[in-house]
Amino acid sequence: MQLKKSKRSVRSALMAASCALIAAPAIRAQSPDESADGDWQADSALLYYKENQGRVQAIEPVVSLAKDFGDEHVLGLKLTYDSLSGGSPNGALPSHSAQTFATPSGSSLTAPTGGTQTYTTPSGREVAQLERVTLYTTQPGSIPLDPNFHDQRVALSASWQQPLGAATRFTAGADLSHEMDFMSAGGNAAIAHDFNNKNTTLSLGANFEADAIRPIGGVPIGGSDYVLLEKGGNETKTVGGGQLGLTQVFSRHWLAQLNYSYDNSRGYQTDPYKILSVIDAGGNAVGYRFEARPTARARQSLYLENKFAIGRDVLDFSLRYLKDDWGIRSQTAELRYRWDLANGAYVEPHVRYYKQNAADFYNLYLNAADPLPQFMSADPRLASFKGTTFGVKLGMPLSDSSELSVRVEQYQQTAQDVPLAFGQLQGLDLNPGLKSLVVQFGFRFRF
Amino acid sequence: MRAIAASLPTPEPAGDVRVERREPGLHAVSFFAMASPCEVLIETRDSELARELGAAAAQEAWRVERKFSRYRDDSVLTAINRSAGRPLEVDAETAALIDFAAECHRLSEGMFDVTSGILRRVWKFDGSARLPEPADVAALLPFIGFHRLHWAPPVIALPQGMELDFGGIGKEYAVDRALDAVCAMFNGAVLVNFGGDLRTSGAPRGAPWRVGIERPDTEREARMLLDLSQGALATSGDTRRFLIRDGIRYGHILDPHSGWPVRDAPRSVTVAAGTCTEAGMFASFAILQGAGAEAYLAEQDVRYWCLR
Amino acid sequence: MNRRRLALLALVAAVTTLGGCSSIGVKPWQRDLLARPAMAMNAYPLDAAIDDHLYFSKEASSGGRGFGGGGCGCN
Repeated sequence: MQLKKSKRSVRSALMAASCALIAAPAIRAQSPDESADGDWQADSALLYYKENQGRVQAIEPVVSLAKDFGDEHVLGLKLTYDSLSGGSPNGALPSHSAQTFATPSGSSLTAPTGGTQTYTTPSGREVAQLERVTLYTTQPGSIPLDPNFHDQRVALSASWQQPLGAATRFTAGADLSHEMDFMSAGGNAAIAHDFNNKNTTLSLGANFEADAIRPIGGVPIGGSDYVLLEKGGNETKTVGGGQLGLTQVFSRHWLAQLNYSYDNSRGYQTDPYKILSVIDAGGNAVGYRFEARPTARARQSLYLENKFAIGRDVLDFSLRYLKDDWGIRSQTAELRYRWDLANGAYVEPHVRYYKQNAADFYNLYLNAADPLPQFMSADPRLASFKGTTFGVKLGMPLSDSSELSVRVEQYQQTAQDVPLAFGQLQGLDLNPGLKSLVVQFGFRFRF
Repeated sequence: MRAIAASLPTPEPAGDVRVERREPGLHAVSFFAMASPCEVLIETRDSELARELGAAAAQEAWRVERKFSRYRDDSVLTAINRSAGRPLEVDAETAALIDFAAECHRLSEGMFDVTSGILRRVWKFDGSARLPEPADVAALLPFIGFHRLHWAPPVIALPQGMELDFGGIGKEYAVDRALDAVCAMFNGAVLVNFGGDLRTSGAPRGAPWRVGIERPDTEREARMLLDLSQGALATSGDTRRFLIRDGIRYGHILDPHSGWPVRDAPRSVTVAAGTCTEAGMFASFAILQGAGAEAYLAEQDVRYWCLR
Repeated sequence: MNRRRLALLALVAAVTTLGGCSSIGVKPWQRDLLARPAMAMNAYPLDAAIDDHLYFSKEASSGGRGFGGGGCGCN
């Protein structure tokens, strides 16, 4: 049987029909390691944190859950519990003699005989005992640590993400945090828009936070004489900020993100438990003052992160430059290399370098001869220092949908620009820095 | 009134995928699908990437095979063949295949017919001399004929006793789908070859792919070598399935009108075209022409190789 | 103040320039490596949040990557 059609028409018709067939959508069956809509993705971690020389220790379990309700509508929930213990530097300098400090701890002091106890100041004055105060004595030569630094914190956060049109995403979140002396509530919202075939993403976000500070024993009057333990009521603080972000795909192997952030805090920003030593010309401690920080702080930061795919491995390099109106300038550089092992396991070494210079009102101690400044703090967190971190993370998949991980990080802070010890301060390590170890176990799974 | 065709079978690991480095910068992934040895050649130095891409091609091949398999209870084809005359709504991919089969039926003036599969019940091409009884063949003819079924996309109604068989389209379609799957993740040179039906996304840097076409004649061992830099090749033929009686060779390509093998068909036809589906269909059309295969292909102005 | 304005201007310029460059980037079928979870910008959100909190309590800087997570009384 001969085909009677003209010679061209069968070929072109068949070509057209074949193209139509190949172009037709094929329904891809879901592969086992893609999560189906309706699954909960869980990410949990248990963190152990320990500082050297009997300082802060913490244990922190965290659980976070995410669920996609379909069409990229995602709900996120996170619960954190934090238990802190140990001692934190109270800002006073070490001394060749023992120093006694009073800390509001929630427990009242009664003498074995049932009478009240008195507190003798370094200059010899006797002060009647105030309610709910614990005395602690620092050994000669040691950095004064408040040993009653224990607290428990619970934090809960929730987020919602959904598409707004074909190339835009909207995210909103709320956070709540509660500890004995501090409560915080905040919210955030952001919009991200993709263009250039999803090669470029622009994002804009804003956040707000309101804190209530209720130190045990009340808020000390800033800059007041520590001996007097003069207290006021409770305080508040609010923070508002915004962020502009740009993410760009440069090649099949390289992705980068640049973020500019700004935030402004108004309210009580002082650490109510920290003091400064008042030192005379001979290097003797003649008194202590509570610290006082400004009630406004504006901060800006520029953050750049780069991710490179190198074979099966990933290199992550980021830089951050931050400055604020308290005089802090900091630079951070961080490098991670995820080395892919067989079967989905990986080893990821990590290095971080951080440098900050001191806040304008930071002083290691106050000079007895100088007039009292308006703002003052000896908090090592506001000093000049360099911080280096070395860490490694190991990840092992346990099944198609779960992964176990272990992370160990060592952090060391080295003080910079420490004034020379003079007089009675000689032979003392005025700012020994900080060393800490972090061990974190993580478990990710789907259910 | 309308039933929905069976949902897709749940994915299961359907087989082994082996990766081999043929030369620096060229990996070959092999697996078994649609009763044929399959391989995917990928121009890359990264053997893990080759494994991922090869696995994607294999998954697609097994998916198409399972979805349109005559032998599986959970395939879409079985659901259609057991519908016993009831109308059935099919998914977009199945509808596209049925549309294509309809168009091929029209273009070949009824010679290509996906309802002729039931003739396998009486024809066993095992190289023996056992021909079926003419009466048995004639009894099946009322149940053959694409024009007898009701197709109003996406609803198909197959009269009781009729069956669909995508055997004549399936392998070539799987090649095209597998290549699409690989090209969605990789823009280097790839060649997908499922038992001789093959297609490439482009030639590797340096030289075109060297493809060998097996000669059906066991006496001549040399293979015909072709240089392929783009497009597809598909082969149709009866090299392994035939009957011989009284010196007459009966190939396994059957004429749906008579129920008997096409007379004087070439032993093998290989066609080159843009896609594997198109090449395979041309090769099938040519064989269905029997004695006029070469003339038909020459008229259609396609690249072909015919062997008698 | 001037430096801040300059930084802002540089950022806006960068955004507008990149927005106009449709040639930078990859085609949709070239996202094989970028699609891997480890290549996502925030690949380990829990680790990042824990680190942020740890450094926030020991340093004067915080954030930069994104916000979320409640405040705590430690800075």
